[in-house]
Amino acid sequence: MAGEDTGARLEEDSPLSAEESLALIESQQREVHRRLGVNVALFYGPWGAAYLLGFGSVFLTYPSAVPLRLPGGVAAVITGVLFAAAIVVSVVNGTRAGRGVRGPSRMVGVMYGWSWTLGFCGLAAVNIGVTRRGLSADAATLLWSGSALLLVGVLYLAGGALWQDRFQYGLGVWMLVTGAGSVLAGVPGNFAVLSLAGGGGLLLTAGYFTLRPPRPRR
Amino acid sequence: MSAIGSLPGLDPVIHAQARLRVMVALAALATGDQITFPRLQQLLDMTAGNLSTHLRKLEDASYVQITKAYQRRTPVTYVALTEQGQRAFTDYTAALHQLLTPPSDQLGG
Repeated sequence: MAGEDTGARLEEDSPLSAEESLALIESQQREVHRRLGVNVALFYGPWGAAYLLGFGSVFLTYPSAVPLRLPGGVAAVITGVLFAAAIVVSVVNGTRAGRGVRGPSRMVGVMYGWSWTLGFCGLAAVNIGVTRRGLSADAATLLWSGSALLLVGVLYLAGGALWQDRFQYGLGVWMLVTGAGSVLAGVPGNFAVLSLAGGGGLLLTAGYFTLRPPRPRR
Repeated sequence: MSAIGSLPGLDPVIHAQARLRVMVALAALATGDQITFPRLQQLLDMTAGNLSTHLRKLEDASYVQITKAYQRRTPVTYVALTEQGQRAFTDYTAALHQLLTPPSDQLGG
C-alpha cells in the first residue's frame, strides 16, 4: 500500500530532530483535540436562537406591550420549531461527542445528558400538577418561566463543575438571575427577559466557545 | 542544535513519527478512557495495517493496553495508554524540552 510505504520511508529516511519532534507533538495535539473534542458552541448557539426568537415572538403576541402584534399561532410555530431543532442538535452533538470512546468521561457525558431529560420530565410533572390545582394563566406562565430557568441554571452550574469550566458555571449563575428576573418582570415582560437576557447569555456563550481554542479533556 | 543524529536519551520506541502520533492521540484521552481501533485509525489517518504494526510495538513496550470487548456480539478493540506509557510520554516530552533549552537557561532554572 502506498500510504504505508510513504510512512515507512519517512520514518527511516528522516529521523526527527528534537525541534521537529516537539512541533509534531504540538500540531498533533491540536489536531486530536479538534477532532476528538466536542463542538461545545453547538450546545449553546441553537438554544440561544430559540430563546431570542422563540420567546421574543411570544412577547410580540401581547398587543399592549408593542404596537406590532404577532398572531399567537405564528409565535407558537416559531417557538416549537426552534426549540425542537435545539433539542435535536444537542442530542446529536452529545451522542457524537463520545463516538468510539468508552470510560469515565463517556459515562459523565451520558449521565449529564440524561440529567437534562430527567430534570425536565420532573419539572413538567410538578408544574402540570400544581397548575391543575388552580393557577391563574399569568401565575402558571411565571411558574414555568421561573422554574425552567432555575433548572437550566442549575444544570449549567453542574456542567461547569464537572468540566471545570468557569464560563459555563457563570452562564449557570446568569440563567438563575434571568429566571428570577423573569418572574419579577411579570407577564408579558418575562418573555422579553427570557428572550434578551436568556438568549443573549446563551449566544454570548456560543461565541465564547467558538473563539476559544480547544482544550485537553481532563 | 538541530543536527543531532540519533538523539541519545530519547526513548526509541516513541521517537518515530508514526508512533509519536499514536502516543499523542492516546495521551489526549481523559484518564481511564479507551478508544476504539477504527476511531483511532480515523483520528490518525493511518491504514489499519500500519496502525496495528505500531500498536504492537507500543504494546510490546507495555506502553499501550489493547482490550478486546464485545458490543452486540461484534468484537471491538479498545486501545489506551498504560500508566507506564503515560510516564514514558511525559519523560519523552521533558527530554525534548531539555534538549532544546539553551545551556544558560539550564543554569538559571
